Amino acid sequence: MIIVKELHKKFEGNHVLRGVDYHIHQGEKIVVVGPSGSGKSTFLRCLNLLEVPTSGEIWFDGQLITNPKIDINKVRQHMGMVFQHFNLFNNLTIMDNITLAPIKLKLMSEEEAKENALKLLNRVGLAEKADAYPGSLSGGQKQRIAIVRSLAMSPKVMLFDEPTSALDPEMVGEVLEVMKELADSGMTMVVVTHEMGFAREVGTKVLFMDGGNIIEENTPQEFFGNPKSPRLQEFLSKVL
Amino acid sequence: MDWLDSVLDKAYAAFIAENRWQLYVKGFGITMEVAVFAALIGIVLGTIVAFMKLSTKRNGKPTIFAHIANIYIDIIRGTPSVLQLLIMWFIVLQNCKNGVLVACITFGINSGAYVSEIMRAGILAVDKGQMEAGRSLGLSHFQTMRYVVIPQAFKNALPPLGNEFIVLIKETAIVGYVGLSDLTRVANQMTSKLYEAFMPLIGSAVVYFTVIKILTVLLAKLERRLRKSDNR
Repeated sequence: MIIVKELHKKFEGNHVLRGVDYHIHQGEKIVVVGPSGSGKSTFLRCLNLLEVPTSGEIWFDGQLITNPKIDINKVRQHMGMVFQHFNLFNNLTIMDNITLAPIKLKLMSEEEAKENALKLLNRVGLAEKADAYPGSLSGGQKQRIAIVRSLAMSPKVMLFDEPTSALDPEMVGEVLEVMKELADSGMTMVVVTHEMGFAREVGTKVLFMDGGNIIEENTPQEFFGNPKSPRLQEFLSKVL
Repeated sequence: MDWLDSVLDKAYAAFIAENRWQLYVKGFGITMEVAVFAALIGIVLGTIVAFMKLSTKRNGKPTIFAHIANIYIDIIRGTPSVLQLLIMWFIVLQNCKNGVLVACITFGINSGAYVSEIMRAGILAVDKGQMEAGRSLGLSHFQTMRYVVIPQAFKNALPPLGNEFIVLIKETAIVGYVGLSDLTRVANQMTSKLYEAFMPLIGSAVVYFTVIKILTVLLAKLERRLRKSDNR
């Protein structure tokens, strides 16, 4: 579904990604872990071209999306993204946050979009917040809304960039719960996170990134039970 | 009660005799006319220039438009507005005999430079995650600007924009240099005519103050309304 070939990304002399190759299949839940500065967030943000790769190829659904001629806005409609800091639109109500893109991109009529939004809000138990503004919500609520906002576009894949890192500890659970449900529904997911429990429980594959490359890739059982590279062993000994 | 009589006499001479209040009203009309039209030109021009200054090429370097915007802002901020007015009146627009029009254009161009910096700051103050979120949903840069970033930027910019308008109203007091009889010039002429400074000068100062006080209250109201979405 997503094929990454020889992906490089440089920021003003800082070589963050050094030739990443990876193949994500439909329905997989890829969890990416690694120390900060390892390039895992940059890798994720390259997948929907929020960061433009310096070189390399990214294919999505048989389309070469790193080709500058491609209409990236069209491609992004099929790739949801959830951010560490939620990034809800502060000037809009929750309902408008969710319906803005489907309506302005003419994918749904206003009524359809609202109906769909309410259905999704019910799914995460926040229907009564439809007319509230983001400022009045807790972090956990904001992140659940952010997930709903992405889902309203019916994406084929969901990208999560440290979705629980900015949350108070007691709110992490409610967000992970929504993500688990989403995983069970068959959504293809790529998750950058520090939640090792989530990686173990939900991931179909776990990737370890360090120094701008994927160092190790395995099923959660093998990844946590039998890490091969010394760098990963050291990392796991620190975080577990 | 001699002093009260003399005050009343002076006030009568300065404002009432020979229907002189009409001159002040006319002068005030010119002051507001120039300020309002200049503000409109300034906001349109300033917004355009702000986007010019923020424009970047694909490699992140500023465009030719950004350089033009910078030169414009530098020149306007680097020269006194009295000089700008005289230059427009005697050189650039010397064939235009309509002083009010020249003043509106001059102050509009002048205000545009300051407004552009206010707008630019307002846009930059919006968290860049807002743009990223919009783009990640498939909205274009323009759509995200229009529906998400600009409404928030405008809210950020409102207090300094109000301030800029207030400065503009007072700054128009120099249009006397090109022969316009605005409120300040009327007061000044009255002073020389009556050999009496207190009433005309203080009287016109009170008018400026009152207008600006009313504006301040209205702006505070508008700001509160726009902050509705920030309620916690």
